[in-house]
Amino acid sequence: MASIIDFTDICKTFKVPERTKGKWSTFKNFFARKHKLIHALKNVTFEVEEGDIVGYIGPNGAGKSTTIKIMSGILTPTSGTCKINGLVPWKNRREFVKNIGVVFGQRSQLWWDVPVIDSFELLRDIYKIPKDEFDQTLKILDKALNLEDLLGRPLRQLSLGQKMKCELAGSLLHRPKILFLDEPTIGLDAVTKLAVRDFIKFINKEWHTTIILTTHDMSDIEALTNKIILIGKGQILYQGSFDNIKSKYSSAKTIEVEFSKDYDNVELDGYTVVSHNKKYATLKNLPSTEFHTKDFVNQITKKYEVVDFQVSSLSVDEILAKLYKEFELSER
Amino acid sequence: MLYTKYLKMHMHSSFQYRANMAFIAITQALVNIGEVLGVWMLFLQFDSVGGWTFYQSLLMMGVIYTVFSFTECFARGYDEFPKLIKSGEFDRMLIRPVGIHYQIFGSKIEFTKLARMLLGIVLSVIALVNMNIDWNVWKVLVLIATYICGCSVIFGLFVLSAGISIYTVENLEFLNIFTNGSKEVAYYPINIYAKWLARFFTFVIPVACFNYLPLSFLTGTGSVPMWLCGVAPLFGMLFMIPCIIFFNLSLKRYKSTGT
Repeated sequence: MASIIDFTDICKTFKVPERTKGKWSTFKNFFARKHKLIHALKNVTFEVEEGDIVGYIGPNGAGKSTTIKIMSGILTPTSGTCKINGLVPWKNRREFVKNIGVVFGQRSQLWWDVPVIDSFELLRDIYKIPKDEFDQTLKILDKALNLEDLLGRPLRQLSLGQKMKCELAGSLLHRPKILFLDEPTIGLDAVTKLAVRDFIKFINKEWHTTIILTTHDMSDIEALTNKIILIGKGQILYQGSFDNIKSKYSSAKTIEVEFSKDYDNVELDGYTVVSHNKKYATLKNLPSTEFHTKDFVNQITKKYEVVDFQVSSLSVDEILAKLYKEFELSER
Repeated sequence: MLYTKYLKMHMHSSFQYRANMAFIAITQALVNIGEVLGVWMLFLQFDSVGGWTFYQSLLMMGVIYTVFSFTECFARGYDEFPKLIKSGEFDRMLIRPVGIHYQIFGSKIEFTKLARMLLGIVLSVIALVNMNIDWNVWKVLVLIATYICGCSVIFGLFVLSAGISIYTVENLEFLNIFTNGSKEVAYYPINIYAKWLARFFTFVIPVACFNYLPLSFLTGTGSVPMWLCGVAPLFGMLFMIPCIIFFNLSLKRYKSTGT
C-alpha cells in the first residue's frame, strides 16, 4: 500500500529567550533578549501507510506534539520535507486541512454553552459538508458511540467520557482521511476507555482512516496499534511492530518462591536474588539464562524445599520504562 | 452563511447567562455616563475648552463610544488575541478550512458592548441636535464617514496589538496605551493637546480623522482647510491596511516559532 504520510529529515529548532536574573532583569529581558536554541526534532524520518493505526510514543517533552503540529500544518519545520496525502501541510493550508481531523485530548473544539449538535452544525458549515452526507455520517457516529442522549445537551453538562465521545465524533464529521489523536483516553474510566478503543478500531476498519495517536497508556498501544514510533529527545529511536519490542523484553522473568522452611542463604545458578526473607525469595533470570519452567523447577527443588512459586513477565509499562532508560530518556 | 451561524451560537451562549449579561451591560454604560457627567461638570466651570463647546465635546464622546464599542463587540477576537493563543484555540483555527481572519471574527462576539454603543449614539444625537449645524449633503456624508473611519482605526489598533502579542507571547499591558489611550484622547477635540501629541494622533494613529478634523468640517471652524477636513475620514480608514499586513506577517512567524 502507498504511504500516506511521508516525513523526511524533519528538523525543528526553536529559539527560546533566555531569562537573566537580577535587578532590572524583566526590563533588560524585554529589550535585549538572549536566545538559546532548542532542537525539538532532529532529522525525524518515518512513513505511515494508508489504513495504519500508529502509536506515537515517548516521554513528556520528547517532541510528540511538535510532530503532530507539523503534520497538521500548524507549524512549519526548520528543514526537511513532508508530504501528507500528497500535499505539503504548511503550504495551501485550507486545501490540506480538509482531509485531516485532530483531537487534542485536553482541549475541546466544541462550544461550552450550546448543545453539542449546534457545535456539530457549525462544523458542518465550516467544512461545507452537504446536508444528507452530514446526516448519514452523524447516524453512523451516533450508532457507534451512542450519542443520542448527548447531542441535545450543552457540553458543560457532560462527563469527561461523554465529552471525549463528542470530541471524536466532531473531528470525524467531515470524514478525514487522517485522524490525529492526542491522548484520547486520558482520564477516562475503564468502560469508556474500551468504548473509545472499539470506536477507533471501527472507524479504521469502516472508513479506512489512517490514525496517529499519542498516548501514555500502554494498553492503548497494545490494543490498537499495528506500528509504533518511539521518539525521545527529538529523535526517532524505534519504529516497527510493538510485538518485536515485547518479545525482546519478555524473556526477562521475575520468580517469587515460597519455601517450606527458613533458609539463611538462597543461591541459584543463572539467577540473581532480588530479595530474600526467611521463607520467601524473589529471583530474576540473568540475561544469559533463558527461562524454562521445567529446568527451573528441577534446578531449585534439588537445592531447596519449595511450596509454591509464581512467574511473571515485565508489564508493558515496565518494558517502556526500561526502553526509556536504555535510551536515557527518563526525565532530565 | 457561516458568520450568521457564529452570530447565532454567540447569541445562544450569552443568553444562557441573561442576568449576568444585563448586569455587565448596565454597569459598563453607567461608567460611561459617569465620564460624561465629569465632562459636563468641567464645562459648568469653563464656557469652552480649547475653543470648543460642551455639545461639540459631547459629540466627540458620542463618536468614540459608538465606534469603540461597535468594534469591541464584533472584533473582540483580535482584542483578546493572546487568550486565543494561550488556550490553543488559535491552533485549532489553523486546522480549519476557513480563512483565519474570518475565524477570529467568529471566535468572539460580545453583545454586552452594544449597550455602550447605544449610549454613544444617543449622546451623538443629543449633541448634533444642539450644535446648530448648517446641514448639507457633504456634511452628512462626512459624518457617516467619521463613524466608519473610527471603527477602522480602532479595528486597526486591535489587529496591531494582536500582531504584536504574537511576538511578545504575554499580553503586555503597555499595548493598551495604543487602544485605550487612543480612546481616552478622543474624548476631547484633539487640538486641545500639546502639539506633538496632536500630531502623533493625526499622522501616526489617525484619531484626529474621526475627531477634530471632521468636527471642524461640521462646524465650519478651525485652522485646517475645509476640504482637508472633509477627506480626513477617508484617509483615516487606510490605517488598518498596514495593521493587517503586519498581522499577516506575524502569523507567518507564529507558524515557524509556535510560541
